[in-house]
Amino acid sequence: MADKNKTGSADNFYNEILSPCELFAARSRSHKIPARGQKDFYPDDSEEQRQRLQQSLDEHWNLIAEERVERLGNLVKATWVPSDRIVELQTPAGKFWQTMGFSAEGKQYLLPEEALYLMECGNLLVLHQDLPLSIQDGYEMFLSSDGVSLQQYQVFGHLKRLGYVVHRFDPSSEPSSYVRQLNLPQSRERGGRQLKRKRSPSPTPTCSHTKTPGESLAENMEDDDKLPESHLMTSAEPPDPQTASQRSAGEGQARTWWMMDAPELEVDKRSSPGSPSGRLRWNFSTIPFPDLGSTSRPRCTVPVDPSLLPRDVTVGVCDLDSWMRKINLRKVKMSLKEQQREKRRRRWDVNKDREVQRCRNWAEYHELLARRQAKRQGRPAHLWNRKVKPLHDPTQPISTSELLDKISVVKSTNLLEGASRLKGSEEWRICFNVYQPDSVADFKKSNPGKPYSRMCVCSFDGPVPDLRVIKQLAFQSGDVLVVYAVVDHGDISFYTFKDFQLPRDVYT
Amino acid sequence: MRLRVKRADRNLQTSPPRVTAAEEFIISGSVMVLDAFCKLTPRRKEIVLMEAPPCSQVEELQQEQEQGSSLVVGLSLCDSAPLLWRLQDLKTVRSNSLVGALLGSLPRTPRQNIRLGRPLLLMPEEERVLREHHGAAALPARNQGAAGAAELRQRYEEEQQRSLEEQSILALEDRKSALLRAMTSSSGSESGAGSDEALQCRLLALEQNFSFPRSALAVQLSTARAGLSHFQEARAFLEADWPIREQDSPRRDARYQVFRDLRGRGFFLTSAGKFGGDFLVYPGDPLRFHAHFIAICLTLDESICMLDVLSVARLGSNVKKTVLLCSPAPDGSVHYTSLQWSGMV
Repeated sequence: MADKNKTGSADNFYNEILSPCELFAARSRSHKIPARGQKDFYPDDSEEQRQRLQQSLDEHWNLIAEERVERLGNLVKATWVPSDRIVELQTPAGKFWQTMGFSAEGKQYLLPEEALYLMECGNLLVLHQDLPLSIQDGYEMFLSSDGVSLQQYQVFGHLKRLGYVVHRFDPSSEPSSYVRQLNLPQSRERGGRQLKRKRSPSPTPTCSHTKTPGESLAENMEDDDKLPESHLMTSAEPPDPQTASQRSAGEGQARTWWMMDAPELEVDKRSSPGSPSGRLRWNFSTIPFPDLGSTSRPRCTVPVDPSLLPRDVTVGVCDLDSWMRKINLRKVKMSLKEQQREKRRRRWDVNKDREVQRCRNWAEYHELLARRQAKRQGRPAHLWNRKVKPLHDPTQPISTSELLDKISVVKSTNLLEGASRLKGSEEWRICFNVYQPDSVADFKKSNPGKPYSRMCVCSFDGPVPDLRVIKQLAFQSGDVLVVYAVVDHGDISFYTFKDFQLPRDVYT
Repeated sequence: MRLRVKRADRNLQTSPPRVTAAEEFIISGSVMVLDAFCKLTPRRKEIVLMEAPPCSQVEELQQEQEQGSSLVVGLSLCDSAPLLWRLQDLKTVRSNSLVGALLGSLPRTPRQNIRLGRPLLLMPEEERVLREHHGAAALPARNQGAAGAAELRQRYEEEQQRSLEEQSILALEDRKSALLRAMTSSSGSESGAGSDEALQCRLLALEQNFSFPRSALAVQLSTARAGLSHFQEARAFLEADWPIREQDSPRRDARYQVFRDLRGRGFFLTSAGKFGGDFLVYPGDPLRFHAHFIAICLTLDESICMLDVLSVARLGSNVKKTVLLCSPAPDGSVHYTSLQWSGMV
């Protein structure tokens, strides 16, 4: 056997070049693939089995041995341009031009993977230095790890052989995340959520059941006649018994909440004053108590900063004396019983409460109230005053679905959630746009439309894509499915990661 | 008998193959550059003298040669993957019960994925088997320098012209015989010199008017590159200057030991990524037999999760194969544990 190889068929063996006679004969050869019969389960050393194996092997080698023979007129000629790693066509392109290649400066070009595939299909003859390239040359010259890798070509060839239209994926052709945020529904949702978060920075969500200065202020804004009162509230400087530094800090804060919310307030006033959303904008923790009773108060208030007022409103200097005179200072005559009751009431006077006195603003007062209520209702305080708190306060009403939400420790997440912030990685990228075979008839290279899917090529030898990669590629691909083509030597398996929403029994 | 050559030093492994300097001939293999050989042969002898293999090894190799696997396989790297291109190389590795995986389109019907054609991709383990048995040589990459390109171009054009002439003659003969067949079958009842004369006349006319256009010329799109490196002598030399990389990692080692052991037991192995294993183990040639086992390679001290064991066992039973957990021991043997799904009633 070995000897025969070395001598008789040596020429054939080393060259695998067909003689003109063989070439001519190859024109009329069959295009059928022999069917593979049933496989056996176990080798039993029988002659019959051995013969069947030999027959299968012979068929196999005949098939593998076949060389590509084409009529010269049917071949499109092209040359390899090594500097650009590209193939330039020399004769008019064939039918393949509908889905492959591109033109530039009046010349027609093919990408190396397209050229190699067409070589393998027997459509293209690529010349280099005026000599034809073999398929082996094509593999070795066109494919490299820094251009199209062998694995990428394997996936490309696999899909092309199945009839798909496969193009290189160009990340720059995808709309940027900014554009997408403006257009895509899911990103609009995200924007809405952010807005909401901006609108409710208040740390006291329970303020609605007590009338707060903010609320009254909003109401007062309705009629401009009552301006002095609102004016009082905003400008009155509380004779804070605390240190001066703290007061000034409070003042500064008072400014900022006004300044920041002023324009929005103005809008709100016109449309729906005191609407819940408007009320929520107030930051009560920075609003100081108004102090009407203080005698050490200056007779005049500071003039209001005109930038805070509506355009057409001007405020003069306000004389407080006339207002002070209107306060009824007469002593109320009471019976003994009334006096006693009053005394008892006085004992419970909120203002005498030392803890209340310690409160510097509404937020702290609310906190105190909440603390006390909790104590009354027997909610064990030690569970609530630490960093780790119970998931839910049983005294607060809650819907079942909200409660289920609360107790789901691992929250379900959307594949695209937070994906826009992820940076692309070098290692993972989408390689190909894939279009379905049935779209070939009216396929336009200039306007290919939305791809059927996108391919990311990876290998069983390499790492498994992690959630970060999956999120990032899914985001990059937008609403087109990303398929992971995993190459295992000769085998290619395709995997996708899809969002899945767990079904829920309870709604609202 | 040829002596197998062991490496003289490790540095050689990293150095590029010396034969890349030798001219590569693209079209015709009948030209050989001898001086390249003359220069290099003395060095080869040197290595032989330095490290002749021990007797036992020689005997082993002798046996191997008797089995007909003496042909050295030419292996070329494409994007660092070992590919085989020559039909004879494919046959040789198959006769050594190495299967590999075909990657290319089948020339006969290129647009399908059921049966593929050359090249053949080798698994890392298959590559290593060949290396350890000195059964393969890395072929030099295509010579880009194109020394003598003009000569080759001329040769190519001459060959094509010759081919055109020969094919033209063949085509004419083909036409003639077709005409003859048609005339004799249609005028079977008529006899005599009249029809014979008419036939001669037609044939003459055909011969005079016949032209074989260049576009009808059948040309070959070669699969493998033709060239010098495919000569037996060149290969024998290349084999001595074996440049194929070695890959070392515990996981690769474990895989290789399992591969070698199972192959030694007469099994055929292919990659088993689609079954979640390392190898698919066939009792005979995969062309005729189904795989019996899914081999999963684990080092002896590796612990695996119970759920993983269950899932591979379950998967194995679903595809009617037995899962083998294979752990190479330090003494070179391999421990096998088979997993079977047993239904309890």
